[in-house]
Amino acid sequence: MKLKTIAVTCSALMMMSGGATVMAYDGTNCEKPGDCWEAKPGFPEKIKGTKYDPKHSEKELNKQQTALDEMEQRNAERVANFKKTGKWEY
Amino acid sequence: MRETHISRWSKVGTALAVSSAISMISGTAMANDKLVELQQNNENWVMQGKDFSGTHYSTQAQINKKNVEDLRVAWSFSTGVLNGHEGAPLVVDGMMYIHTPFPNNTFAIDLDNPGDIVWEHKPKQDPAARAVACCDVVNRGLAYWPGDENTPAMIVKSQLDGHVVTLNAETGEVHWKVENADISVGQTETAAPFVAKDLVIQGSSGAELGVRGYVTAYDIHTGEMAWRWYATGPDSDVGLADNFNSENPHYGQKGLGTSTWEDDAWKIGGGTNWGWYAYDPDLNMFYYGSGNPAPWNETMRPGDNKWTMTIWGRDLDTGLAKFGYQKTPHDEWDYAGVNVMMLSEQKDKDGKMRKLLTHPDRNGIVYTLDRETGDLVSANKMDDTANWVKKVDLETGLPIRDPEYSTRMGHRSRDVCPSAMGFHNQGFDSYDPERELFYLGLNHLCMDWEPFMLPYRAGQFFVGANVWSYPGPKGDRQNGIGSGQVKAYNAISGDFAWEKMEKFSIWGGTMVTKGGVVFYGTLDGFIKARDADNGDLLWKFKLPSGAIGHPMTYTHEGTQYVAINYGVGGWPAVGLVFDLNDPSAGLGAVGAFKELAKTTQMGGGVMVFSLDGKSPYTSDLSVGEYEM
Repeated sequence: MKLKTIAVTCSALMMMSGGATVMAYDGTNCEKPGDCWEAKPGFPEKIKGTKYDPKHSEKELNKQQTALDEMEQRNAERVANFKKTGKWEY
Repeated sequence: MRETHISRWSKVGTALAVSSAISMISGTAMANDKLVELQQNNENWVMQGKDFSGTHYSTQAQINKKNVEDLRVAWSFSTGVLNGHEGAPLVVDGMMYIHTPFPNNTFAIDLDNPGDIVWEHKPKQDPAARAVACCDVVNRGLAYWPGDENTPAMIVKSQLDGHVVTLNAETGEVHWKVENADISVGQTETAAPFVAKDLVIQGSSGAELGVRGYVTAYDIHTGEMAWRWYATGPDSDVGLADNFNSENPHYGQKGLGTSTWEDDAWKIGGGTNWGWYAYDPDLNMFYYGSGNPAPWNETMRPGDNKWTMTIWGRDLDTGLAKFGYQKTPHDEWDYAGVNVMMLSEQKDKDGKMRKLLTHPDRNGIVYTLDRETGDLVSANKMDDTANWVKKVDLETGLPIRDPEYSTRMGHRSRDVCPSAMGFHNQGFDSYDPERELFYLGLNHLCMDWEPFMLPYRAGQFFVGANVWSYPGPKGDRQNGIGSGQVKAYNAISGDFAWEKMEKFSIWGGTMVTKGGVVFYGTLDGFIKARDADNGDLLWKFKLPSGAIGHPMTYTHEGTQYVAINYGVGGWPAVGLVFDLNDPSAGLGAVGAFKELAKTTQMGGGVMVFSLDGKSPYTSDLSVGEYEM
């Protein structure tokens, strides 16, 4: 019921506006449930290759996960030792 | 990615098996029952929220609206630490446990003789942790686990440098210590741990450095990780149950943690969860909010940016999410969604008794959800000056934004309300089940906002917006005061029973008692008591320094005490703490609170009150004296 309401609302808005990007972004013009973002007038749908491209370094982007994986590994070794010896060693 | 996916599931599976085995041996249910008993006993304040529901409501009435004017200082304790003192002490079985901001010291104080420090824990931390804390070096407090036949009762703490530590509650000895965050990539810990059953739940901090948020559970006995789930990324990382949002598919379901981001931006997309938790033992679900997407510059992250800004309802044992409701899709204003979750059982407008969750969000909306299904029950402006949103559509769950107050590159947005600091921030508020009122400590702040581009470098600030905050329309913008409010809110009718303006933001939250009194601290250093029925000011006391923590209460030897941390700091007081003058410094806070330094200065400690100042020392002058 709620899904249907969204679909009808979206369709009606599309017809009234003649397209998703004509109207100012108010967050109600959904492509699908939970995906209602639209580019603001004058801004691109995708920023890659535009003047807004932050040109992220893949190496930098992966550093957080690497750090977490390494911490998990060290913690697991501490826990294993704790279970074995009954003494927590950091 | 597939290998990681399988590996994480296998980790969860293994951890659960181990956890189950340990639970059978040690009596998980017994420990949980004991924790509930401690919550219900007025001699204790055993968790930051008072109880699993996070009500901050005490059935004590020795101090009440008729005699609260007779409150006097009973005793006090200086922590010896400056900076912002958020959270509150715990009291369990005649001992008070006090925490501090960085360096995150912990003290155990004997309530029979508060001059006696039973033990203290002073961790050695890398001072570099201070450099990656976004908004002062705060910590929101301790947690307690009551022990069982195999493992002693424990105090659980988080440290700014990313460690989670358990301490023997009787001796202060370290039981285990794990790494939960790495400051070299900007991850820190400021959130209080949350304990339910035999699990320690720990959040994450650092979205202003592009940290991708994660929530982790550790086995209290061994420190073993039970599960870890993220705010963004593949469903297998976010931890979505098979029936995720099946009751509300319009909230969105699978695949959105990546598809609502461009390329790999979700890896540095924020959504850290440094706020508060609540737990429903009957449903075995816990609740919390994920915070703002990173960077603040919205132009750099096209998409709805799921699942930042989300109210989560997750199964405690597995951590898997049954529902997630994103309040501010594609945030443009830093309305980090981490605020307090308060659980109530109330009749809705149709007279149906429901299990509810009420959450005053930073975005200026106070949400009430059915906490079993995630259904949106109400979503009202906590102040009518909130202007980024026209209203929340209860059918779709979507905020209907006012494009006039949107933000974007090349544009300075003006008079946006609330400011990035929110109409409500980290304060732990309260719910009175008899009056069916929520007592909200609020900010009244608006802002100008201007984004800028910047690269991502792990461990460096990744904000991308200049912000100027100032008091809202009901305050005195010229003189920099009138930036706070206190309100009594009915989540079913949407009405406010009363509302009062305050000189500065009410940053720490409120506590309400059966005595009909609402307590809270102020940034300029008062603890105040108001009549829960009409908001009349009944009593106040000037503390040594401003208060950004929440009050708590307990009974010891038949006397009811009210206690509160003092120690100005936190985001609103970064200008005072770090001696900043540029109004846009401190992520926009310095200008908003330029008058604060004229009212208070740094300090740190706990102040404890009782009627007529009765204490162990007034009852017996020999307490604490030298004995031959």
